[in-house]
Amino acid sequence: MILNINNKNYEIDVDPDIPLLWVLRDILGLTGTKFGCGIGVCRSCTVLIDGNAEQSCLIPVRLIGSKKIITIEGLSEDGSHPLQKAWVEIGVSQCGYCQAGQIMTAEGLLRKKPNPGIEDINEAMSSNICRCGTYNKIRDAIILASKG
Amino acid sequence: MKMSDKFNITRRRFIFGSALTFAGLASGFIFSEKALAELIITNDGDNKIMSFAPSIWVEITKENEVIVTIARSEIGQGVRTSFAMILADELDADWDLVSVRNAEGDSKYGNQSTGGSTSIRTFWQPLRLAGAQAKKMLITAASLIWGISESNCYAEKSFVYEKNGNRKLSYAELIDKALTLPVPPTDSVTLKKVSDFRLIGKTKWNFDEPDIVTGKAKYGSDYRVEGVKFAVILRSPYIHGSLISYDDTEAKKVKGVLGVYQINEGLAVVAENSWAALEGRNALKASWKNNSNFNSEDIRNAFIDKIGVLPNLPAITSKFIEGVYEVPFLAHATMEPMSAFAHFKDGKCEVWTGTQNPQTARSDVANALGVFQTNVRVNVLLSGGGFGRRHDNDYVVIAAKISKLSGHPILFFYTKEDDIKNDNYRPASIHAFKVGITANGTPSGWIQKVISQGDVSPHRPNYDIPNITNLSDSKSYGIRTGPWRSVDYTQNVFVNESLMDELANLAGKDPYHFRFDLTKDGRLKNVLKLVAEKSNWGSELPNGWGRGIAAFVGYGAYIAHVVEVSVSQSGKLKIHKVYAVVDPGFAINPGNIKNQIMGAAIDALSTALNTEITIKNGEIQQSGFHNFRWLTMEDVPDFDIDIINTSETPSGMGEVGFPSVTPALCNAIFDATGIRIRKLPIAQTSLISGTEKKSQLSNNVEFDAFPIPFDAAFKVTIKLKRWNGQKLDISIVDILGKKLSDTSLEFDGTSYKGEFNFPTIAAGAYYVLFTDGIDSYSFPIMKK
Ligand code: FES
Ligand code: FES
Repeated sequence: MILNINNKNYEIDVDPDIPLLWVLRDILGLTGTKFGCGIGVCRSCTVLIDGNAEQSCLIPVRLIGSKKIITIEGLSEDGSHPLQKAWVEIGVSQCGYCQAGQIMTAEGLLRKKPNPGIEDINEAMSSNICRCGTYNKIRDAIILASKG
Repeated sequence: MKMSDKFNITRRRFIFGSALTFAGLASGFIFSEKALAELIITNDGDNKIMSFAPSIWVEITKENEVIVTIARSEIGQGVRTSFAMILADELDADWDLVSVRNAEGDSKYGNQSTGGSTSIRTFWQPLRLAGAQAKKMLITAASLIWGISESNCYAEKSFVYEKNGNRKLSYAELIDKALTLPVPPTDSVTLKKVSDFRLIGKTKWNFDEPDIVTGKAKYGSDYRVEGVKFAVILRSPYIHGSLISYDDTEAKKVKGVLGVYQINEGLAVVAENSWAALEGRNALKASWKNNSNFNSEDIRNAFIDKIGVLPNLPAITSKFIEGVYEVPFLAHATMEPMSAFAHFKDGKCEVWTGTQNPQTARSDVANALGVFQTNVRVNVLLSGGGFGRRHDNDYVVIAAKISKLSGHPILFFYTKEDDIKNDNYRPASIHAFKVGITANGTPSGWIQKVISQGDVSPHRPNYDIPNITNLSDSKSYGIRTGPWRSVDYTQNVFVNESLMDELANLAGKDPYHFRFDLTKDGRLKNVLKLVAEKSNWGSELPNGWGRGIAAFVGYGAYIAHVVEVSVSQSGKLKIHKVYAVVDPGFAINPGNIKNQIMGAAIDALSTALNTEITIKNGEIQQSGFHNFRWLTMEDVPDFDIDIINTSETPSGMGEVGFPSVTPALCNAIFDATGIRIRKLPIAQTSLISGTEKKSQLSNNVEFDAFPIPFDAAFKVTIKLKRWNGQKLDISIVDILGKKLSDTSLEFDGTSYKGEFNFPTIAAGAYYVLFTDGIDSYSFPIMKK
């Protein structure tokens, strides 16, 4: 099976039912995508699949086919993506564990709505849990990134 | 630099060409077996002088990099950043050249337990001294090289300069000379004046942020080596359960499963990847014996049985309130479920994990494996949240045991469900109280008895209250409890600051002025006064809105909160704004302090509203964020946070922001609705406003009570859709469910009407209970 991840093709030999999350983390060593719950509740594991923010813990790799996957590592390696820059500029993270999922969910939103309003942001981010309580900063950073 | 440290260093930016290779880090953290062996050998055989380390706290490299040793664990509180700032400031290091490395668990670093918000208070002085000591040596080295006096040299941004000249040498260039000098005792060095700080006192965002946003930051669950295998365990579903038998035939057939091992904690499944391990676990058949079949209700009843009779308040009491507050068990529910890497090989064990105590992890692992501590190395990675959970190293020990049994390097992990069901919970407690006021509205006495499962001792309120009696008792059901952010302040401050509000209300006084007038502590007065000002305390709010105030003193700091809420007639609560004023003594990293205050507040609001751990038939009922609910973005309030510096001594900031938020919220709800929350989570109490004369409560019932709150008597009118006109049995109960009265009401053709008279009961919340034969109804009423 071939997966296109961060614009690179990876040939993998796996059980087709394995969720994408574990392929990323355990087989390819792309540990930036996080395991929070494994059951679709927390969104720590969010990646982009053909531009849509999706929970990688819920998607068996057999359903991915030729769709393009972008993980936090692929957003930009050097932190130059506007969301990454905004996060660093205003200091969003506490423990940081949820933030890859937050950023990828935000990227999914910005690809659809480059200039989201507060309500759009609240709605798009409403299922991402941050146990450390960084929500207000996340929202500010998304606004900052969208102003570019 | 030790080989082992190369894997452990986080740079603010990559400053190296090819001088050193960090291939391990760059290529996704995959190490070879050879590297692993070297990790265990403490002397790596680096012969060349690579760096200058005048103490265990700092190392300056030939690349002019400053590496600060962090001997407390990063769990999201910002310790890596703050520690680096403190040392780098005294060293006059260029912040862009500062890196950090986590200390491995070793008693040479002193106490490495990250808890009680002690890190800054413990390390503030030692890290400053270590920075100043290194700087002194570099200045001496420069003065010797240049043949001028030390007073003609000064340090700035990782260079030493000649005062009235143009010579300068980088710290790196001074290493060889500095290495020939004796290390001056720390009591011979001079520390900076506060006005000379360049880093301390100015915001520096999370040191790890650049790595977090690019997916490079390494948490315990991210550790990988070549040949690593993944493991989970199947545990008893019961709190007190034991394994009767198991069958692993199907589990072993799952592709990728390598083995199943029985350990004390359960059945371990080892596999090629996490998914295979989980699938293997699903296929495992095991039967368990439930050794203790009990429910949350049993615990609560046992607590209530232990209240007994509280002593009497003094004779000067003119009015009093008595009742019970209840606080549930809570799980820590860190974002990252517990996980640890362990590799047991040739009698030695290498561990990489996120832990709040690498020293006890080391001794726990050594004990479990039957080896000397010197054969165990515990390396600390980032933790995806701690909140006290990681003081217990159960997961580290399990990883080590599985590695020993299977012979593989093991990445062991809990799922969220494992984590929530096998936590060391925040203790549950009930707080029976009697508090009163004198005829002129000042407190007359304060009696509280706490009964808990786990350690909760009653605290004195932070105000001048006479005649305090604090009593405690406990009842154990063998539920594992442990420290949970702010420890027993979470329960006690909720109770004490709610009671202050109840007393103010009883005295007919404003809750802010009531508190302000009852303390002589200037720092407490300050935070109260400023938070009242910021929140426009006393100004008019729209109908259905309310404000609550509360304060907390602890961890060397002072904080006051005002929470602003609205509650709709149908009981919908909206938290609009949280005001906080914190006096940390001295703020080292103001931006981080605000982040902590905000995060702790959201933690407190989330737990106050929705979360509790309950037990049914000996099993923990919660299993994830779907039934242990956390606030998400659309529900969080706005924040207004102020910091006031009042001294030159910093305090801990990871926990101080929690305790007073819960009572401020509950006091705000009272202000908005007249409903006093005496039981957490708030979701357990109906917030349907009792102040409305008529409320449409559901399709099947109309309930109307007035006046609410009542003085002595109130009337009710009940209309039921599904009832045949027979008598209606109705009970009035207190918040514990204790019956105050049982009555039957007659049908008058359209409704049931009754009048109740309770002149002597204590003020607070009570409930009217009845049933239409299908549904049971409970409506709150309030006694003034
Ligand atoms: S890990 Fe995928 S939603 Fe939680
Ligand atoms: S920053 Fe810790 S969970 Fe979001």
